[in-house]
Amino acid sequence: MLPASLDEAVEALAATPGAVPVAGATDLMEAVNAGRLRPAALIGLGRITELRGWRYEDGGTAVLGAGLTHARMDRPDFAALIPALADAARTAGPPQVRNVGTLGGNVATAAPAGDTLPVLAALEATATLARAGSTREVPVSHLLTGLDPLRPGELLTWVRVPLLNAPQVFLKATGRSGPARATASVALVLDPARRAVRCAVGAVAPVPLRPLEAETWVAGCIDWDARGEDGATVIDPAAAAAFGEYVAGACVPEVLPDGTNEGLAQGAARVRRTVSVLARRALGRALK
Amino acid sequence: MTTDSIGFGHVDLGTDPLAQTPPTHDVVGGGAFGGDARPCASYTLRVNGFERPVTDAWIGESLLYVLRERLGLAGAKDGCEQGECGACSVQVDGQLVAGCLVPAALASDSEIATVEGLSAGGTASDVQQALADSGAVQCGYCTPGMAMAVHDLLQRNHRPSEVEARQALCGNLCRCTGYRGALAAVQVVAEARGAVDELPEQEEPEQADPPEAAAPSAVPVAVPVQSAADLSLAGEMPLYADSEAWVEAEQPHPAQPTAAGTGIGVGIDAVADYGVDYGDGQGVGHGVGHGGAATTHQTGVYEPADYPPYPATPPYNGTPPYDGTPYDASYDATFEQSRYEATPAHGTAHDGPPFEGTPAHGTPYTQTPAHGTPYDSAAYENATYETATYETSTYETSTYENPSYDNSTVYEHTGYDGSTPAHGIPLPEDDHA
Ligand SMILES: Cc1cc2nc3c(=O)[nH]c(=O)nc-3n(C[C@H](O)[C@H](O)[C@H](O)COP(=O)(O)OP(=O)(O)OC[C@H]3O[C@@H](n4cnc5c(N)ncnc54)[C@H](O)[C@@H]3O)c2cc1C
Ligand code: FES
Ligand code: FES
Repeated sequence: MLPASLDEAVEALAATPGAVPVAGATDLMEAVNAGRLRPAALIGLGRITELRGWRYEDGGTAVLGAGLTHARMDRPDFAALIPALADAARTAGPPQVRNVGTLGGNVATAAPAGDTLPVLAALEATATLARAGSTREVPVSHLLTGLDPLRPGELLTWVRVPLLNAPQVFLKATGRSGPARATASVALVLDPARRAVRCAVGAVAPVPLRPLEAETWVAGCIDWDARGEDGATVIDPAAAAAFGEYVAGACVPEVLPDGTNEGLAQGAARVRRTVSVLARRALGRALK
Repeated sequence: MTTDSIGFGHVDLGTDPLAQTPPTHDVVGGGAFGGDARPCASYTLRVNGFERPVTDAWIGESLLYVLRERLGLAGAKDGCEQGECGACSVQVDGQLVAGCLVPAALASDSEIATVEGLSAGGTASDVQQALADSGAVQCGYCTPGMAMAVHDLLQRNHRPSEVEARQALCGNLCRCTGYRGALAAVQVVAEARGAVDELPEQEEPEQADPPEAAAPSAVPVAVPVQSAADLSLAGEMPLYADSEAWVEAEQPHPAQPTAAGTGIGVGIDAVADYGVDYGDGQGVGHGVGHGGAATTHQTGVYEPADYPPYPATPPYNGTPPYDGTPYDASYDATFEQSRYEATPAHGTAHDGPPFEGTPAHGTPYTQTPAHGTPYDSAAYENATYETATYETSTYETSTYENPSYDNSTVYEHTGYDGSTPAHGIPLPEDDHA
């Protein structure tokens, strides 16, 4: 069934308890093909055109439709708005998947390696969930952590993100040069109005992690007034490197103190180093 | 899982812990069964311009499965069913997608274009021909998907750069050829079309528009279930060895120009026949081969006009048995030429643009680590990276300061080789420490 409007979709979902909403189906069909899911009914969201775009709201907020595809978010007009999300969308799988895979599906699936998730966490995005007759607003991080999960019969309709008009970076480490899921990723956004840096680390834990202390610390190290001036040193390279270590230390558990790095500890050390470099580079790019 | 057990058997899976609450309403199509753990639906797919009814199909069936097993269109291949390999690539509403990840029941009001539609005229399309000529086909399993990906790329971008081509093909895995042939084929076709031009979209499959396609989706009920016998459509016909339309492939004749009319097509026909011989829908090389195969079998009748007449004396008959008579050297020459020269064999260097120094996927391993992962951070202190093109970032200079976002602008694909690394683009790293 392919409802053409949000109301129809929400009603169909309420009327059919076992039904599964289907956006791009890239995660869904993967599960169906692997025998992990046997849907009782399918409700296709692809024809709900209102969810496939975005709009602006007062207070410098963009309201993104859950049906925005990765391919759409990768385009320059969107990249100008929320560069980190565009960067994340650009690396989220091969073209065949990005042509149909959606923002809403990425959030609803909430895979650890979901590429838009650290960006939404860094942007402190909120999601609108709709059910027949009512809607509610939930921070995306609450959705992801399960603090306030998507309930049966609910559709993710909109994702609200602030328009910061400042550099944002998303960097991702993978196992190969072609499209692949992240082994670690870092999203970093600058908020010059508040003189703040916000950073989230993806794929190293079940949900994106925010190294809050490191953020506050590094915001104090940045020469905000020098930003944009030619040849100015906005941040001491040593501070940027320390920021990387700080972020990695906050997000990846300690290596064994006795130095006998074996098994898990060794893997953790590698992820740590990856996160540290990604965070340092992300900061460097954002402040360039 | 056979077609029968899904289509008619309605296997009882009620005890399966995975089975969800049965639907109380008929949500997909007309055939859902309340209480059945495998709800079914009937719908009509519009494939390459033709209405193809599908009855009583489980709603979880992928488009790939339905195309191959129910509609007999075995061009798209099943490589992984997980979206990783691209062998199942088809276009849905003009967009390249993995057929294995599309629920067929939800594609019922979409335009579906498959590799069979590429060869609408009965011959291989320019893309397929170029793939074959460039040595992009070995086992052929990836080829239908590759052909669709190249076709899709060239529809959107008439002059793709090397990097754009690599990005466009990065979802199509090929275990045999190493991608050089496919990348060369992209350039060959782009150049050829650029030279012929200005009819850029001339090989759009939808525009093949055979007479039967006039029936719009308004009358799906009236469309009878088609069998192989009443399909006389180029590339549309399921070729099974037991079908009435089946015609044994002809012995390749040494000096015989093929349907492609160039002599180059011999290789293609050989592949096609090979694939068809398997007759189980798993035929190797079916995709590219299909053009050739369809030419031969299209209507079940040979059109003499399309084929230059046979030589009066077929060489096999005319050559006396080994009796000391000197061998006819001219025959040998002809044979060699038509059969092998124009089609590079495995590993033969092709004539395309050289790719020296660039490994597959476009990332020079020695210089740029995958996606910015450092293998050794010391290596990136390199001063060349510091002076990078990053200074000219469009985010910084223009767009950020200008909040007049024009939502209505239609984006022309410009390649967008801008500011951040996507798959396989070597970018200068800005290392700060
Ligand atoms: C080969 C391959 C590579 C991939 N690589 C990456 C990658 O690198 N990075 C990455 O992040 N992801 C990757 N993915 C995962 C996938 O493409 C993304 O998660 C995508 O965003 C999912 O979106 P979708 O629209 O396809 O979701 P669907 O498959 O349609 O839906 C997924 C789940 O979310 C639910 N859902 C969808 N939309 C809504 C909604 N609006 N409201 C409520 N529930 C909803 C569905 O019911 C379903 O349970 C990859 C997938 C494949 C197959
Ligand atoms: S079979 Fe669909 S991508 Fe491999
Ligand atoms: S997989 Fe590409 S030719 Fe064999």
